[in-house]
Amino acid sequence: MKFKETDIINIVIAGTAGQGVITLKRLIEFASQKAGVERNFGAENHGLAQREGAITSHTRYQKQTFKDERKNLNSPLICYGDANLYICLEPAEALRRGIYASDKTSFVLNERDIPGVMITANLEQYPSLEQIKNILYNYSDKVYSINATELCLKHFHSNQQVNIFMLGFAIPTRNIPFIEIEHYEEVIKEWFRDPETNIRALHLGINEGRNILVNKN
Amino acid sequence: MKNDTRFIQEEGRVLMLGNEALVRGCLESGVSYVSQYPGTPTSDIGEYFHQVLRENPEIGEYLVHHWAVNEAVAASACAGAAWTGCRVLNPMKHVGLNVASDALSVISLNGPNPGAMVISVGSDPGSLGSHQEQNERFYAWMFHIPTIEPHTPQECKDWIKLAFILSEKHDLVINLRTSTRSAHSRGFVELSSLVKGKSKGEFIRNIPKFNSLPPHAINNHIRLYERIEKLRESIPRLDINKIIEGDNRIGIITSGMPFGYTIEALNQLELNDVPILKLGMIYPLNYEQIIEFIHPLEKVIIIEELEPFLEMKIAEISQKRKINVEIIGEKYLPKYNEYSTGLIATNLAKIFSKKPNERINKAINYFNSYKDIIPSRFPTFCAGCPERATLYSILKATNHLENTIICGDIGCYVMSFFPPQECSDLIICMSGGLSAAIGMSTKTDQKVLAMIGDSTFFHTGMSPLAEAVGYNSNILLIIFENSWTAMTGHQDDVLRYLINQGFSIENICKAIGVPWLRIEDSYKPKTLTSTIKEALKTEGLKVIIIKRECALQAHKWRLSQIRKLEEEGKKIQDISYYIGGCQLCYECAQILSCPAIRRINTQGIEEMQIDQDRCIRCGVCYEVCPNGAIRKSIINLLEEEVPFREI
Repeated sequence: MKFKETDIINIVIAGTAGQGVITLKRLIEFASQKAGVERNFGAENHGLAQREGAITSHTRYQKQTFKDERKNLNSPLICYGDANLYICLEPAEALRRGIYASDKTSFVLNERDIPGVMITANLEQYPSLEQIKNILYNYSDKVYSINATELCLKHFHSNQQVNIFMLGFAIPTRNIPFIEIEHYEEVIKEWFRDPETNIRALHLGINEGRNILVNKN
Repeated sequence: MKNDTRFIQEEGRVLMLGNEALVRGCLESGVSYVSQYPGTPTSDIGEYFHQVLRENPEIGEYLVHHWAVNEAVAASACAGAAWTGCRVLNPMKHVGLNVASDALSVISLNGPNPGAMVISVGSDPGSLGSHQEQNERFYAWMFHIPTIEPHTPQECKDWIKLAFILSEKHDLVINLRTSTRSAHSRGFVELSSLVKGKSKGEFIRNIPKFNSLPPHAINNHIRLYERIEKLRESIPRLDINKIIEGDNRIGIITSGMPFGYTIEALNQLELNDVPILKLGMIYPLNYEQIIEFIHPLEKVIIIEELEPFLEMKIAEISQKRKINVEIIGEKYLPKYNEYSTGLIATNLAKIFSKKPNERINKAINYFNSYKDIIPSRFPTFCAGCPERATLYSILKATNHLENTIICGDIGCYVMSFFPPQECSDLIICMSGGLSAAIGMSTKTDQKVLAMIGDSTFFHTGMSPLAEAVGYNSNILLIIFENSWTAMTGHQDDVLRYLINQGFSIENICKAIGVPWLRIEDSYKPKTLTSTIKEALKTEGLKVIIIKRECALQAHKWRLSQIRKLEEEGKKIQDISYYIGGCQLCYECAQILSCPAIRRINTQGIEEMQIDQDRCIRCGVCYEVCPNGAIRKSIINLLEEEVPFREI
């Protein structure tokens, strides 16, 4: 997808508490600043970070604003159906905020599920991955899924890099325009505890993303 | 990792959340005292002040931040500091304003001069982090608290600075009202220079001003009207209300975050000729400015979240001035829950008789077609949480709350009502559970339990406990002494100090005369269950204190001890729990429901598994498994054991 500099970029990031949804949002926002983005406005939810809840963030930016304020980015929440990218760190969370998706949305999906307590207690059913993907495919064919958790466990012996890996995985879909890989790397070096591992995770994701795009096309 | 310089660098353009920008605005205003009780969406304000003070000790020469024990204490403490001539900030969540209101009613009457006092109330339309979504804007009318509502982080920073100037100039308490969305959305902020606050002030006696009792109470009330009128007149000069011109005969008045949704919704509907008045100050209103805006229009839509506050006032003005314009808002827009661009666009389409935006409609309809299969994911107690383990014992001791009422309260245990445990029958407010239990126990023979955490106990819990002792109420009170204000993120100066001094809730209970008192550990569920049973057979007031540290903190501390010992080259016991021969009775999943346990399906065979990454080794599931299927493995049995710390 080709974006104009005046377009408002809308990215939903959804996952569960502790998966690094807010960290990922911050990374994109701070990288967009390095990319010279003119306006940035996005909401995140605080307050229940440790407690297994569903976490969503709205990342929104506009490289160049219009003179006419009515056409500019002014709300930190994405309008229904307006997301151009939906990063799902957990499969069921791909559906929970589905109201923000439409035929213009690309989905990148981590296939590893994190069932909530009601699933463990056998009091609710978790939809199958196939069922979830089918729902997403009804939006568009731009659904890219991978077991990011498994890959991160294999490469880093930890699932802490899943969020950064998924960002890398999303980059080749060209839905986070105007931000270069170097911008992410700079932010990671400045703000992250273990920059080396996170930059490796970013590149691992980018490579996997490129492979999937090649295979898909 | 570099230090976060955004709060202290002299100039530049930085990305900040609304709350971060608000803190920056305070540092540019010479604020020298801040006091607050934590509560979403304002808790992080204090955390940023703490960060600034930790990283820049020189700022501590003039700036003091207190985590107060409750909001009323915080409000009065702030007034005290303001009356020595300092600029003070008092953040609180919307329901915190209820607690602070008794103090604020008088502080606003007296006025904060010679200093300045700004409160920052975090509203929460949609109850995103609160037990309810009250529209606390009406306090502005009641106490004459001028209220400024920012939309972007830049406005958060600029307008809190303005609030301090106005507070000082007009002797008024000013509210910079945020919402969960404006507090926790990030955008660019242009910085200005930092201003040092006063390290010392001086209180100058002024009995009529600071003693609002007859006859001074009435004089101060008259003076309050005069102060408000002066401010009202000055509004057009403050450049805080903005008009976006347009030729449409239908116009919109809005403020704060709903402005952002509205302007984007209009763009979605291609209605870019609608005039908009964006109010920065929502109380008091400058009538002339509003009349000028609505006069040429046929219809004015007021867009505001929750109950109509602006709409009532604007309808009143237009009626009194006999302006023939239709004022609408609540007729089309909901008076509950938070707004969004999609919701406003859908409703504006109706008002303007436009075809709804097709993408929005499709998005809503398709989402509605599958949303029922989305599994629920509500917040729950952390793995190893001592409160979860206590609920397990309560459920076992009462045969799943048979003939038993359990009064919940605010803290992590507010989550008790969620399934599968469903172990809370009612929630009112901070320490409302124990108070409700006092009345309830006089009118029913059902067994009455109440729960309270230590931070809530210090907030307002000691008073109802004194009353329960006084009437020997037939209640079992469970006090969770986990030694942290856990729910809001462990902001604990006072609690930590008291605990480090060896002070405990046990001492307070003894001193206040609790007739039946036991100290228990919820990691020993069998003993706790029998103690609860014993308590419920006993008439009168019973208190069980659960002494067990918050699992998040306990786990963090234990891991750091292990790391330290390992660095010293010591071997330590490595304990883990695993499941073998599970009978799928669901005792651990339905009644304890620890999130470290998950159900897996391997080639058609269902079994339970303990997630080793999440398990903190509390051992409660091992204790409760009726089939002995949860096993304990100890590697390095003869080496040093690192238990959780005692509190």
